[in-house]
Amino acid sequence: MDALVSQLETPRSQQELYNSEEEQEQLALSLSPSLKFALPPIAQSQAWLRAMTDDYSNPNCPIKIAHGTTTLAFRFQGGIIVCTDSRATAGNWIASQTVKKVIEINSSLLGTMAGGAADCQYWLAYLGMQCRLHELRSKRRITVAAASKILANLVYSYKGMGLSMGTMCAGVTPQEGPALYYIDSDGTRLAGNLFCVGSGQTFAYGVLDAEYRYDLTDEEALELGRRSILAAMHRDAYSGGFINLYHVKESGWVKHGFNDMNPIFWKTKLGKGEFSNVTADLN
Amino acid sequence: MAGMFAGPQEMMGYSFNTAPTSASEPRQHSFYPYTDNGGSTLGISGADFTIMAGDTRSTSGYSINSRHVPKLFLIGGEGPKNKGARIVLSVVGFAADGDALKEKLDKEVKMYKYQHGKPMTVSACAQRLSHILYNKRFFPYYVHAILGGIDEEGKGALYSYDPVGSYEREQCRAAGAASSLIMPFLDNQVNFKNHHIPGSGEGHDLKPVVATPLPKETVIELVRDAFTSAVERHIEVGDGLQMMILTKDGVEEQLLPLKKD
Amino acid sequence: MGGFDFSNHSRNAALHAQGFPLPTATSTGTTIVGCLFDGGVVIAADTRATSGPIVADKNCEKLHFITPQIWCAGAGTAADTEFTTSLISSNLELHSLSTGRQPRVVTCMTMLKQHLFRYQGHIGAYLVVAGCDPTGAHLFTVHAHGSTDKLPYVTMGSGSLAAMSVFETAWKGNMTRQGAVDLCSEAIKAGIFNDLGSGSNVDVCIITPEKATLLRNHITPNEREKKMRDYRFKKGTTAVLNQKIITRADISKYVTVHELDDGTPVAAEKMDVDT
Repeated sequence: MDALVSQLETPRSQQELYNSEEEQEQLALSLSPSLKFALPPIAQSQAWLRAMTDDYSNPNCPIKIAHGTTTLAFRFQGGIIVCTDSRATAGNWIASQTVKKVIEINSSLLGTMAGGAADCQYWLAYLGMQCRLHELRSKRRITVAAASKILANLVYSYKGMGLSMGTMCAGVTPQEGPALYYIDSDGTRLAGNLFCVGSGQTFAYGVLDAEYRYDLTDEEALELGRRSILAAMHRDAYSGGFINLYHVKESGWVKHGFNDMNPIFWKTKLGKGEFSNVTADLN
Repeated sequence: MAGMFAGPQEMMGYSFNTAPTSASEPRQHSFYPYTDNGGSTLGISGADFTIMAGDTRSTSGYSINSRHVPKLFLIGGEGPKNKGARIVLSVVGFAADGDALKEKLDKEVKMYKYQHGKPMTVSACAQRLSHILYNKRFFPYYVHAILGGIDEEGKGALYSYDPVGSYEREQCRAAGAASSLIMPFLDNQVNFKNHHIPGSGEGHDLKPVVATPLPKETVIELVRDAFTSAVERHIEVGDGLQMMILTKDGVEEQLLPLKKD
Repeated sequence: MGGFDFSNHSRNAALHAQGFPLPTATSTGTTIVGCLFDGGVVIAADTRATSGPIVADKNCEKLHFITPQIWCAGAGTAADTEFTTSLISSNLELHSLSTGRQPRVVTCMTMLKQHLFRYQGHIGAYLVVAGCDPTGAHLFTVHAHGSTDKLPYVTMGSGSLAAMSVFETAWKGNMTRQGAVDLCSEAIKAGIFNDLGSGSNVDVCIITPEKATLLRNHITPNEREKKMRDYRFKKGTTAVLNQKIITRADISKYVTVHELDDGTPVAAEKMDVDT
């Protein structure tokens, strides 16, 4: 009781440290991304979550979680191109056309989001925190390999719980040069030159594989990224909105705009004669 | 032809991508902790203000639980009336989850103020709300939240959330039962989607209208029209319209009647 | 008499088993009531038609004509109430022609229940049948499975409990015509305001041995207020990629073109629209 009174007598700002360890622990817990998640009070929590939130196996599920969709990244002589659409869907509903699916982890590392929007946003933010801590502890930038492995190990520890993410980590470090990794919520982690992820991945691969060369110039590479995403946005109903384009170089990443797909589509069609499947002809 | 009747085909290659179990097959879940309490909310941000609105009807099934259950909450003010609050949270979906979420966010924003001696910024509060929602990733809050306030530059700020915490800052957002009726209206009237400047060109040269922040009076009119129209066509929306107008001077609350049928 | 075509039934069941949702029929999640009075009978209905949580029609007609002296209020699947009542209406007309007598309300009720029972509830029609015939004024309810009731005051539909609470509070025997109209209107209003499936206006039909009077939109307690802004778009707002002009000469190859007398457009039927 005395302890409680003395604690209440002195204002918070004058107390040097928090009195009890517990309190400090609670404070730390409430202010940083925590790893303690509430679970439903039943035995089959995964099956229950799936029934409540998975609009794929149950189109009438009560809670519709926003999903992200087409993303791509590829390595070439000038670095790495990262390009995404901006549509989020919840069931058949377009929840947003302005999602930022490229997440800037730090000035030289990018992550992309496909799958559950919240899963990607939260865990890539968490990854950003871990990368910064690594930097402070070891006094040098984290490698893309290490960063991607933090994420892969993390999602693997939640395997079967219902996380849904397909993400790519792209970055340039002195140790590795330009490096690109694919990580998904099954626990897969792959290094590679070229990845497309999401419901529109096949459409993007179609264009990207046909035109891809390692010795692409910077301009050609940016245009190829843009054109591949455009193809996916055009054919995949779950992709669309704006084209978000990034170029990762040795000096860090450079953003090349967040542009409405429609004018780009018509410019491509009318200027280059592509997309001849679309006509505005009335006869 | 076979493809047409093959049903939903595969989407993304992630954890949930198991073979679809038949949707028609009866499935029983003895644990169903949610009720949809209907209603609708919306928020629009302007150059130096944000307007949040929601109807006040609470429903379950075809019944009206109450004609006055507010969906807008002041966050982080003083005392039971939340005096001096500068952040507004709106929640629609399951009212009990919404209440729990409001209590939790309000507590944390207040604790922040007591511990740091300064009020929480809207952007910080927005991120905190995201984390609160995500903390229940495996047992979600059945809510669509919208958070409104004024940012550090004095501009109107509006954040919208999905049930597990993915969030985004936007100009306008409608949520809840009538969101599919209101959101296209907002796209057209606030972001001027599909609006072109008449006579500014032929065919592809016709210039689209560039969206600029709307004045407060216009936004209030749009909000009222959005709700009176939603009431006409959605059975779960009605009774009362609660509006909160956030400016640098604080929050002004208005309560207007809506049709009760 | 036609009957039902079941040729798509197996296919649709197979599609549904694969996860395709069945199309939702417009249902009149409704309040309908009826009440006898001294010298006749009154039925009343709200005017909201819904499709799930969406209002499909704000001012539909749920009071159906069967014979000049028999009317029917319908709840349940809109198409089923519409077609069932019109089928029975036709059959009653033929029946009265062949017997040379005025159709009776019990006959109508019996035909309805036999028709509905045959389809084991798959025809989702819930009806309040009322009318006057040489044996007096009658009031019945008919359920989709074929059961019927004969009562002095009845309610049906999703708002039936709200409406019945009004009847149970205020109903008295030997009512006047005006008393019955007012009581029915109050009961419908209880449904309109307390049941989400019911809404908009009150329609009433009063049937006496002499004549039937339909009071369409007897009470309109839910008129929409004026919108605050004007949403007419300037011409040229919508982007046009291409246009094609079809001349009268072109179109007259396929259809006959008539000149209008004074050039004013002729409205085929007036529609209720918001401005």
